[in-house]
Parts: sequence; structure tokens; C-alpha cells
Amino acid sequence: MIAPSALALGNLTPRTVEEPADAHAVAAALKAAAQAGEAAILVGGGTLMGIGNAPARYDRAIVLRRLNRIAAYDPRDLTIGIEAGATLAAVTERLEAEGQFIPFDAPRPRSATVGGTLASGWAGPRRAAYGHLRDLVIGTTVALCDGTLAAAGGMVVKNVTGYDMSKLYVGSLGTLAAIVRANFKTLPLPATQRLAVAPLTASGEERAVSALAQVSIEPAAALVVRGFFGSTPRVNDEVSRLVVLFEGSAASVERATRELRSHLGAAGIGQTILHEGRAAGQALQALVDATIEPLADRSVTYRARGLPTDAWMRMDTVRARIEDLGLDADTIADLRTGDAFVRVAAAARETLESMLIEADAVVRHVLSRAALLAGEPELRARLDAWGPVPTTIATMRELKTRFDPSGTLAPGRYVGGI
Amino acid sequence: MSTLGTRLIDALGAGVALTQPEDLAAYAFDAYSEDRLPTAAIVPRDAREVGIAVRIARECGEPVVPRGAGTGLCGGAVPRNGGLVVSFARMNRVLELDARNKRARVQPGLINLELSKAIAAHGVFYAPDPASQKISTIGGNVGTNAGGPHCLSYGTTTNHILGLEYVDGEGAVHRTALDEPGYDLTGVLVGSEGTLGIVTEIDVRLMKLPEAVRVGVAAFADVESASEAVSAIIGAGIVPTALEIMDKLIVDAVEAHFHAGFPLGSGAVLLVEVAGAEDDMDESETVLAKIARAHGALSWRTARDAAERDALWASRKGAAGAIGRIAPNYYIQDACVPRTRLPQVMHEIDRIAREYRLPVGNVFHAGDGNLHPLLIFDRRVPREVQAVIDAGTEILRTCIAMGGTISGEHGIGYEKRESLSLVFGPDDLAAMGRVRDVFDPGRGFNPDKIFPSGAVCGEVKRANVA
Repeated sequence: MIAPSALALGNLTPRTVEEPADAHAVAAALKAAAQAGEAAILVGGGTLMGIGNAPARYDRAIVLRRLNRIAAYDPRDLTIGIEAGATLAAVTERLEAEGQFIPFDAPRPRSATVGGTLASGWAGPRRAAYGHLRDLVIGTTVALCDGTLAAAGGMVVKNVTGYDMSKLYVGSLGTLAAIVRANFKTLPLPATQRLAVAPLTASGEERAVSALAQVSIEPAAALVVRGFFGSTPRVNDEVSRLVVLFEGSAASVERATRELRSHLGAAGIGQTILHEGRAAGQALQALVDATIEPLADRSVTYRARGLPTDAWMRMDTVRARIEDLGLDADTIADLRTGDAFVRVAAAARETLESMLIEADAVVRHVLSRAALLAGEPELRARLDAWGPVPTTIATMRELKTRFDPSGTLAPGRYVGGI
Repeated sequence: MSTLGTRLIDALGAGVALTQPEDLAAYAFDAYSEDRLPTAAIVPRDAREVGIAVRIARECGEPVVPRGAGTGLCGGAVPRNGGLVVSFARMNRVLELDARNKRARVQPGLINLELSKAIAAHGVFYAPDPASQKISTIGGNVGTNAGGPHCLSYGTTTNHILGLEYVDGEGAVHRTALDEPGYDLTGVLVGSEGTLGIVTEIDVRLMKLPEAVRVGVAAFADVESASEAVSAIIGAGIVPTALEIMDKLIVDAVEAHFHAGFPLGSGAVLLVEVAGAEDDMDESETVLAKIARAHGALSWRTARDAAERDALWASRKGAAGAIGRIAPNYYIQDACVPRTRLPQVMHEIDRIAREYRLPVGNVFHAGDGNLHPLLIFDRRVPREVQAVIDAGTEILRTCIAMGGTISGEHGIGYEKRESLSLVFGPDDLAAMGRVRDVFDPGRGFNPDKIFPSGAVCGEVKRANVA
């Protein structure tokens, strides 16, 4: 049994914690909550609860971890059906045994669940190479607040049979329905994985970005990481590093590495440390984990989308402006996807508290689509998690009303107060 | 002239609004069927004109049917109940290209192939390539979430759409973007076959042109053994960019028409393409040829150069047209099964065709398990028409029984709407009905498409009271 206090959000603690054993029980739990007029939060591994606003009401936690089976998997089909509560690590282990993978690339895979990862809309650093998770989902089953179960898509890789409802549920943060099962395309594991890490001085960042752009083989992931040293080891006294993941055949990875080293060398960046195979994956995972790692109770972290060509410049700007406020900023610029992560912190909590609103304004000014990702709940509660509402908000509100007319699911957590 | 027609001409002028039967005839059909004339049609220049027309149609109580090039195979663009057809023939430009960030903004009437041609010099391409790409439009492709041979590694249209501009039922213009927080309206609109809104601009994701491409052709004794080879390739952890099968009937027709050099006389031909780094090409080819031989390939040949590759692809994509030369009429079915069921489903299709005494050709996206049996018949022979309908339905049922679905890439349209309830139950359809209620409560957008005629009203009612 999970204690309600372990599932608190903001300053709210649920009165009850339910752990339904199967999809029908989830549907029944949602219906019961709706009929009782109570608010329910759907919980997976709890790793990404820092996304979104604190709920307006929170009576029941409905934990989906008991739905943790691999429901269907024939490796020769390159598809898999997974219950929502299965952890990413468990799924990955099962897939790896067959030489396959799904690029979840989400934080803390031993705790994170498939359902939670999808609901949060998590999008990892390898998506430019392998597709966004939303694009690998080929079917879903959800439980709705009227107690029904609704399926969409299927177990085939091409499907235009009715609306692509799965797209609606992915990224909806549990405000429309509970994902109880998701079907994915799987991918064959690349023959070779190599992570190249080039330690950089502050002035070396821009040169490193230009050098990478000249490599003829596209990397699976490429990040400029400044700070986050608590989560990944510091080699020397570098302030930053270029982190590049190459995946593919041994020959193509070898050539890519050679080109990268040559272009970095020409840019005056002499050192590149290589991590091979499993170690490469682990090093990238450590960085992904770092994106939601708070600095004690004195940080808030944002994630923003944008254009790949602007990613480094935006990060450099936001870091400088945060430092102008007397605060610290750890940043990641994703050169492949355009994602930006910034963790705003201070040596003393009071310092951050006093400058929080100014810092938030700076982040949102530079990173127009920034959303809160992690941080200490009381600090987060002072900020709007999502920023400006999209112009289609009326349609989104109407969707919420149609799927959850009684406002049962995570009221107030989502965009525009949905 | 109809009220709708008069008001459209008043608002948009006779250069945009069409009302004469001889002008409207061009908008009465698609590649599935010819039905009735629309009440009026418009050929707008921008979203504003679409909005005005949608508002007028709504006030007149007339449905609105969007139309790309009319190549749809399921009746999706046919104005079943008259109303307004919106043709995007004039909105056919690339508006913005950002090759470094691999994205472009295009108008819906842009022809699919024209996009890749226009941007190739920048080292990028638009991946979805339905066989109709020489004439079909990106807007139409968005409507049906079109596929194509290269979906195998690149994914279908929905995986390449970053955002949309669309006109809602009240004529208002909205913009969606995957990058924005909030529900993924882009993903819901793609593949909705014009039933949720009228798309007026499309942000597409582009990909870097591969450094190297190889295309191989293997001949097999029959479709089953070619299918086994496909399963073995996928099972070996290789995902080529395309993996296509054509059976004897199709190969013979294609060769008679295109002379691309496919091996004649064999029972089936496997067309396989790999793309990527030059370093990998020789090994990929060796492995593929070896698997093909291990599964009974009678021959293996690699295209020598780009011209030969293009010829092979052009004839593959022209297969349906080539069949037109040898058959009075044909009916192309679209279904998808899990990849491992391919050999079995091909065997069943053969059995069904024989049972109904119909010649059948198979040309399909084998790597995706996406089937396209072509049933050949003569429209003038009533027995054959009925046999085609019955055999088509039986093929769909067979695919569903194998864990598959009734459309991989053509859509449901008008043709398959009654079959939708073979795949989805009332609760599944009710959830879709909720989405439709939000976007189009008045059912003004492309009515009579996708959803079964009986079920949907009931389901919608359910959703309303839920």
C-alpha cells in the first residue's frame, strides 16, 4: 500500500489511494470518482509529477502500477502491447533480449511507467533520429470517466481506421482519460553506440556547435550541457561539454567519430572522451535524469521547445541573463531537437525566492515556449507551469468537457487551467 | 442557381466560386466513385476565403467537403449530399522553407512530389510518398494520413506534420503546433478525412537526403515465399527504407507498360531499398541478398544507378495504372496485418479470389504488412460486381481476424464506413464521436464519411449525455 502522503502534489494530499488491478478496475475507479464528484490524479511512477500546475482539487490518487504486464509481443512483428504501469526499464529489458528498443529516453526508467511517460508528453533527445514517442505509438486503450474502455489504433504499423485518438491522449497529462495500454512500434537496436564527450571552455561552445554541424552523418543525439555537474562527472575544470551520440553500423559510427574529432580539432577543441556501447547509453541516460533533478529545495527547471539552429544561442542568452540576476543556471541545449532545459538555482533558497518572478520572466522571454518541468513544490506553486495559452485553448477546453464533464481528472493541472 | 451558389458568388466572386453544372462536374468524383454534383464549389486563394465560404455554407445548411487532387480510393472527397466542395488547386505553393531546421510551410494544394523536387537542392526531402505522389496533394495526404512505400522506416504522413492551420465550422482560422503545450490537435486532425475542419496550411517536417541509396530486386516462385523473406528481413533486425512485393500479374502488367527491368515469369518480385551512409551499403546489400536466397529467391539484382532506381520506383508506383491497361475494371483493397501474418494472409487472399472466381493481383507494402489486393472484374457483369464487393469484405474480415485493420493508408471515406464497426465497438466509436462533437457539432464537415451510418448518431447521443 502506498501512503497518501507519498503522493502529495503542491500542498494537497489525497484522501485515498487506489491501486486497481486491471483495466476494468481503472474504469470503475474513474466512474466512482466522477459519481462522487471527487477529483482524481492518475499516478504512474511519479517521476514527472513536476510537470503541470498543482491540482485545484485532489481527493483520490489512482495508481496504475499494478497494470504492468507486457500484453502482447511477437518480436518478429516489431510491435509490442504494454500495460500502462510497466516501467520503462522492464520494457527495455524485455526488448533488449530480442535485440530491439523503444527510444523512451525519459528520466528514471526504473520508476517511470509507460503510461506516465506518454501522458506527460515526454520527448527524448533521440527523437530526431527515431521519432517522437507519439509517433511510435500505434494504438491505445483508455479508461474514461463514464466507466467505459475505448480502444484506438491497433497492433499494425500503418492504420487510418477512425480518428487517431492516441495522439490526443499522449501528452494530455491524465486530464482526459487514463491510458491503460499502449501499443508501440519497436526498433532494432543499433549495432554500435558511441557517445563522444568534448569538454569545453565557455568560449568553446559556439565553435563546438559549428564543428558538429560539419559532420556529414547525423548523430542520434547532440547536446551542449553547461553545468549539471552534480549528475554527471566533471573531467577537468571545464564549464561545459558537447555530448554527441552516434548510433548505427560500426563503419558509419567510426567515420562520424573521425569527422567529429577532426572538425573539433580544427576548432581548437582537442579532447574527446568516448563511451562505448552500454556505457554510452548510460551516460546519455544520466543527462536525461539530470533534467528533472532538483538542487535541494532551491531550484526550478524549465523545458522549452524551439528550432535546433537557435537552441544553443537561446541557452547562452538565458544563462547570461539569469546570472545577471545573481542566480545560477544549468542549461542543456539539444542541437538535434531544439529542446532547451534550464535549471535556475541559487546558493541560498531565500535568494531564489526573492528573484523567482524576475527569473521566470527572463526564462519565458528568451524561451517562448517554456514549461515547468521540476523543482520544489512551493516555488513552483508561485509560477504558472505552462506560460501563455495556445490560441486553440477554447477547443482544448471543449475537449476536456466532452471527455471529463464532471472535472474529475486532475482539475487545474493542465494548460490554461484545464 | 442555389442560394449557396448566389451567396458565394456575391461574397467571393465568380473567379473563386463555381456554380455551373459543367464546372461542378470536375468535383463530383474521386478515384473510388462518381456520385452527385456538389451544389457549388470554390477554388479559394487563402484561408480567409475558405472561412467565408464555410460560414456561408453553414448558414445555408449545406455540408462542406474538402478536396485535394481527387485521387482518394474510398470516396472521401465525394460530395454525397451535394453541398460545397473546397478545391485547393490554387493554394499550391511552398510558403517557407527552413532547410537547416528541416521544416517547411506549404499550402494544402501543393502536389506531394513537387515539394521534394522544389527542396532537393537544399539537401532535404519530404518522406511520405504515396504511389499517387505525382498528382496527389499534401492536403489530401494529411486528410487520409497517407502512407507510401517509404513509410517502412520513415513513418506515415502524421509523423511528418509539425502543425496545421485550419478553418473551423464557424469559419474561424486556427493554428496548431506540436511544439506548443496543450492537447495534440495536430495529431487528431491528421487522418480525420476532412471531418473535423478544413486544413489551409501545413507545417511539414523534412529529412536530410540520404548519402547513399541501394535498390535490389529479387524474384521468387510465389508470393508466400517472398513474404517469408520479408518476415525474415524484418526479423533479422533490418529495417530497409522500403520493402515491396508485386505478384506475377502485377509485374507482367508493369513491365508491359514501363519496361523497368523487373524479372518476368516469376511468381513474385521483392523490391527492397536501403538508404544511409555509404559505408553501410555493401554490407546491407550482401545481407539482404543472402536472406532472399535463403528464402528461395530465384535471382537478385541491384539497380546500377539512380536512373535505374528511379525507373523501378516509377513503375512500382504506376502499378495500379498499368493494371488499367489489361483489366476492364479493378478494385484496390487496402488492409494491414501484423507482419508475421503476411504469408498466411496472402494464402487466404488467393483462396478468397479463387472462391469468387476473380483474378487478383497483389502489389503491397510488405514490410509494413500493408496489403493492396487488386480484384479484377468487369463492371458490366453484375455477378462480378457483387463478387468483388463480397470478396473485398471477406478479405477485410480475414485481416481483422489476424489482428489487422481495414485501412493502412487509404482511409475509410464513404466506402468502408460500415466496416468500421468490424474493428471498433460502440465505446471506441463513442470516444471518437466526442472529438467530432467538439470540432464539428453540426456535422457540416464531410458528413457520411468514416463513421457507420447507424451507429454514429446513437454514439454521439451517448457522448452528449455522458
